[in-house]
Amino acid sequence: MTQPTEDALAVGIRELIAQAEGSDPGAVALSTIPGGASRETFLAEAGDRRWVVRRDPPGAPDSFAPLEIEFRVVQAAAAAGVPVPRPLAFESADGRLESAGFVMDHVAGTSVAPRVLRRDDLAAARRALPAQLGEALARIHSIDAREIQGVAATDSDPPLAACELWETTLDEIGEPLPAVEAGLRWLRLHPPPPATRECLVHGDFRLGNLIVAESGLAAVIDWELCHSGDPAEDIGWLCVRSWRFGNDDREVAGVGSLADLLDAYEKAGGERPSPERIRWWEAMGNVKWAVICARQAHDHLTGVRPSAELASLGRRICEPEWDLLELLPAASSASRPGAAGSEEGRLS
Amino acid sequence: MQDRPTAAELLDAMAGELYAEVREWVPHERRFRVLVLANLCAVIARELRAGDEASGRDLELFSALSGSPADDVREAATALAASIRHGDLDARLSEAISGLREHVTRKLDVARPGYR
Repeated sequence: MTQPTEDALAVGIRELIAQAEGSDPGAVALSTIPGGASRETFLAEAGDRRWVVRRDPPGAPDSFAPLEIEFRVVQAAAAAGVPVPRPLAFESADGRLESAGFVMDHVAGTSVAPRVLRRDDLAAARRALPAQLGEALARIHSIDAREIQGVAATDSDPPLAACELWETTLDEIGEPLPAVEAGLRWLRLHPPPPATRECLVHGDFRLGNLIVAESGLAAVIDWELCHSGDPAEDIGWLCVRSWRFGNDDREVAGVGSLADLLDAYEKAGGERPSPERIRWWEAMGNVKWAVICARQAHDHLTGVRPSAELASLGRRICEPEWDLLELLPAASSASRPGAAGSEEGRLS
Repeated sequence: MQDRPTAAELLDAMAGELYAEVREWVPHERRFRVLVLANLCAVIARELRAGDEASGRDLELFSALSGSPADDVREAATALAASIRHGDLDARLSEAISGLREHVTRKLDVARPGYR
């Protein structure tokens, strides 16, 4: 998969690294890191040194959060003590990366969630993770998003803004999902009290967007969904059952308890949100994941991104739908292990 | 009438071979995609065996909740989704949620048995 080292992109990356580091790294070999849906990611290697380059696909329309903003967010996160890959240099669309993008340090570890949850050599990491995730979230949430130029601010209260966002997205997809609509309606009618403060929210904080090494959390990556919002949003999203990959009894990303995460969150300066507030955002997280599954399947159907994997997500919508409805007050169904765990895990 | 194997039996065979053999031929970092295909074959096999009964029950449920009878289940789902969005079912929302749990259960029985 390694491309010839002398292509223009490799030369451009070598120049960028030389400029940022103050010394020429030598010839750079590039290989593609698969996985990014909307962005291209390359591994750049020179000798025993490694960097990661993230860029827009050349010629692609403007993306969610432009990479220039993402670069500034990663810089702010690094300054706030969040473990992130050290950001080196941003290059605009007319620069040496052939599209907008940035170069950062490579961080060793895995971001494949099932591996984090099962690999023997990551047992100690799993024990450390709940507290490390709490601490990292507290540091992210210490950042005032308004101080980062370009980060999307919400025009309305964050819970209401989330309802509007996913209703609009559902309308764009055009597939009827009555279970999601019922959950959304309930959440709209029972919003949490206004948040005491708004802050930077990562927007997709789960194992798939974290790099985990033997010592635990090594870096928080993929900031493209970051925005200004309610800090409880990131915590609720992290508790969504789909991110437990079968470890249903460990509600924080399949690795541990919410209490351990919140203790560390508070100790690192975060304000402990109420359980109801976190459940509200967990339920909204299930709305979000159900709608994203529908949108990905739709992207396959419309030919935007033909892929059996995306198509298969259309048959997974029912998983977050189930968890969403289980989090709402019970009308008649018996409480079951899994989604909400128990009556006290439900919203009221 | 097609000869045996039935469509579902053919899909079972495909799922088995993808899972047990083809997976091994594929580079490690791409095996996940073979698992996706094997799983899809298994899902479709269950869907074929389940037949139309689940959709019939969804049609009844959606029509009853929205109060607008329809012949087609997608049409009924669209009408119900719109009624819920507009707040027409606010007074009966918990009843709607209970009914929709059954709808989601029917989908899970095909797509991911055991998830509940």
